[in-house]
Amino acid sequence: MPELAVEMTVNGRRVARTAEPRQRLIDFLRDDLHLTGTKEGCGAGECGTCSVFVDGVLVKSCLMPVAKAHGARVDTVESLGRNELSVLQKAFHKAGASQCGYCIPGMVMAATAALRANPLAGREEIKERLGGNICRCTGYQKIVDAVEMARDIGRGTLPASALDEVEAQDGRFIGANVRRLDAPSKVSGALKYAGDMTMPDMLHVQVLRSPHAHARIVSLDTSEAEAMPGVEGVITCDDVPGEDGFGVFVNDQPVLARGKVRYVGDAVAAVAAEDHLTARRALDRIKVVYEPLPAVFDPDEALRPGAPVIHDYAPDNITKHIPIRVGDVAQGFAASDLIVEQVYTTQAIEHAYLEPEAGLAYVDHDGVVTIVSPDQNITHHRHMLARILALPINKVRFIMSPVGGGFGGKEDMIYQGMLALLAIKTRRPVRLVFTREESIISTAKRHPSRTSYKMGLTRDGRIQAVEMKMICDGGAYGLSTEGVMRKAAILGAGPYNIPNLKMDTYGVYTNNTPSGAFRSFGALQSQFATESHLDICAEKLGLDPFEIRRINAMRDGAVTHTRQKLRSVSLLAALKAAEQASGWQPGAPVSRGDTREDLAKEGVRPPCSLGTRFEIADTKHSEVA
Amino acid sequence: MARKRGRGMAACWYGIARTATVDRAGAWAELDDGGTAKIVTGVTEIGEGILTVLAQIAAEELGVRPQDVTIGDNDTARAPEAAHAGATRQTYMIGNAVALASHEARARLVAVVAKQWDVDPARIETANGQVFVDGTNHRMTMGEAVHLCKSRGVVPLGSAAFGTDTTGLDPGDGSGRPWQAYVFGCQVAEVEVDTVTGEVQVLGIWAAHDVGRAVNPRGVEGQIEGGIVQALGQGLMEDYRLSEGRTSTSGFAKYILPTALDVPQVTSIILEDRDPIGPLGVKGIGEPAMVPTIPAITNAIYDAVGVRITSLPATPEKVLAAIREREQRSGERPVARQAAERQLTS
Repeated sequence: MPELAVEMTVNGRRVARTAEPRQRLIDFLRDDLHLTGTKEGCGAGECGTCSVFVDGVLVKSCLMPVAKAHGARVDTVESLGRNELSVLQKAFHKAGASQCGYCIPGMVMAATAALRANPLAGREEIKERLGGNICRCTGYQKIVDAVEMARDIGRGTLPASALDEVEAQDGRFIGANVRRLDAPSKVSGALKYAGDMTMPDMLHVQVLRSPHAHARIVSLDTSEAEAMPGVEGVITCDDVPGEDGFGVFVNDQPVLARGKVRYVGDAVAAVAAEDHLTARRALDRIKVVYEPLPAVFDPDEALRPGAPVIHDYAPDNITKHIPIRVGDVAQGFAASDLIVEQVYTTQAIEHAYLEPEAGLAYVDHDGVVTIVSPDQNITHHRHMLARILALPINKVRFIMSPVGGGFGGKEDMIYQGMLALLAIKTRRPVRLVFTREESIISTAKRHPSRTSYKMGLTRDGRIQAVEMKMICDGGAYGLSTEGVMRKAAILGAGPYNIPNLKMDTYGVYTNNTPSGAFRSFGALQSQFATESHLDICAEKLGLDPFEIRRINAMRDGAVTHTRQKLRSVSLLAALKAAEQASGWQPGAPVSRGDTREDLAKEGVRPPCSLGTRFEIADTKHSEVA
Repeated sequence: MARKRGRGMAACWYGIARTATVDRAGAWAELDDGGTAKIVTGVTEIGEGILTVLAQIAAEELGVRPQDVTIGDNDTARAPEAAHAGATRQTYMIGNAVALASHEARARLVAVVAKQWDVDPARIETANGQVFVDGTNHRMTMGEAVHLCKSRGVVPLGSAAFGTDTTGLDPGDGSGRPWQAYVFGCQVAEVEVDTVTGEVQVLGIWAAHDVGRAVNPRGVEGQIEGGIVQALGQGLMEDYRLSEGRTSTSGFAKYILPTALDVPQVTSIILEDRDPIGPLGVKGIGEPAMVPTIPAITNAIYDAVGVRITSLPATPEKVLAAIREREQRSGERPVARQAAERQLTS
């Protein structure tokens, strides 16, 4: 490919290099200039993690060809606060505006641009100016707080000392708002995530994925790919020396597809090559012949006799069923004055951590296979990988790299096995960085659920019986499904005294993208059903929604649905606190919105209408110190 | 009016640490040269701020400052097992392990100093890098105390593990002791529903959560705010769509996430009902923070416009269709309510 001479001023220094015409500005900054503070989150201009200034204008560097920056002045996050953090960066530190930190360099750039555009921007204008930058951790509130602090320091209404660390003269630090120790590395872009790390002689890995939801692999021929110049290794399931299979509860997922593929995106083979592009091209030379199999995409259909079987060990396609039985629901319903039935459904959602999966692997001088990755469970993964590689556990080492968001999505060992096999095969360090698309199609989702709910109550609001059946689509592999079903069952009926309970949760295999761990792990789906249902029952009984919960609330010494005796139960305190803080006006939930008087008071933001004129920030400083 | 407001609430509960299995975490602590400290544990910082939390715990328990603490984190060849980052377990499991390990390291140091000063070890205090006996002239820096220890052949080290007393579930009736610590919470949501477009904006959330004991209240707020916004995403817009196993939402152009413009003002109320079992009284917040948000929002939608959203997400299309359907059968509702009341009084 012809090379392109580019010259630009980057962070105040003249840079003259040759670049490949296909390079984007982000690649040039990260790969050629080693300015890894600029992160890649989506590669499509949607998330803002790659934000830089080009001639002073905020741009998404993943959308700009490097040639377009020729002759320009480019400033990255590394240009801010070179000797000392900028006021804005310090405000991010003080306000607790960074969590995983992956979006933060881009967010700092966007916030810098916002205050340059309008040093007196009000809160709503700041939000709109940050609207092109996604953060998955913080909920944005503390980010906007930080920008307001920096604004107020800039205009002199807040002293710079507001950014200082709290001192605890008595040495009592538990309970103090100590600033995050890792924030300076995050707001400055200095922290290196796995995708920012390189090693000498490192190879680049790409993965061939299944285009079929369910298919038998008739043949798999990698010879042409292996013969390509620059390709150093190709692996398939035949390269696994030990006992293949991983999972959080059941080891039903091979490192690379073995005999058949079970979902679109299932990994089939992987290539390590001298550069990323060669590895990608080598994927096209791998010849796979598939024989499509009947597939099933709906958990109810998967449960029917004669449905396609996804895993031989589970001919009924049930990954896990968790039952809980208390009392006798038939008696409970017979004693009820009101019986309400309803079905609730929840959808699959994506974790959307801003850092796509990435990892490095190498075999060290002592023959220890070492994996560096943003992994939420390296202790367990070490066990599994040792078995897969047929090595003693102390010959497998996992090092956690900074995790750019997880939310459960990085609990699965979906790529570390491939990296280990390629490092062993090539005897060179290897690195794999997922694209956003690859991350979305191949990694776990939150379990979609359908819950059939039946509750019986006496007219005084006391729950007499609950029958709940929740069916979840676990997708093609088990991952965390068993645990998700367990937590959904234990917690699903809520923190209420229920004398008669019949609870069943089922995780079911299908040929959909696998479902796995996701923050709140089944309890979100099942408690959505219960908390919605209580509102319906409260309306029918003419009870305030707080009241119906208080009537049934577990109290100190309560016995849970799994017959565990609790000591202290803080539910009543939580109900009271939320009721008081919100100034809740009591009454049954009978769509009284029009008439209630507790609306539009303190604690709410103005509704958003894009394009309206912004108010200048008022003169009193924001309350974040 | 085209835009209607309403409020809803929901409660939640959650178990802390691994479910229906024994959980455990280990940690090492060392009071180091210059009065610094070293904590080594298989902790995984996934953004929640656990490293800062552990530094605060170690600082208070050892008598140094958080910025004096260095944490050696997760590396299976270098750090003691502390298991995974998930299950709302790290502050509870690893926080308590670090506290116990710090107690042991401190006790080693205090024993040497007590002998030097010829005082009862129980009278020695350590705080903010100082070692002293209140009401006396006995005082030295932590750096001097560490130096003293080493000159006596003592390295002030500690190690500890924290484990749970939990059981699996009975396969028949589900009975068992899945957790030793539980948390409870409640959220109120205020929404505005545009009856022309079906769009729902969440304007305010009041979130009261028991966390046991907040080590870093700002960090707890961060977990609550972030959890609420993730739940808001699932409640109103996010949808990983599949057709015949193939997704049509493989990028952020199609998979819609909440931005700064979508988020409500969140008011966090942190409740502290201390865990009686662990040495610190801490519990956790990561996951429970997002459990009540969605039903609070959908209950608020009902309050605003009288439609029950029982299938997520509550997209504008879905909300609008429900509003239209309700309008078509309006007039029937009071009858339905009378029927419900008859049912109750019969």
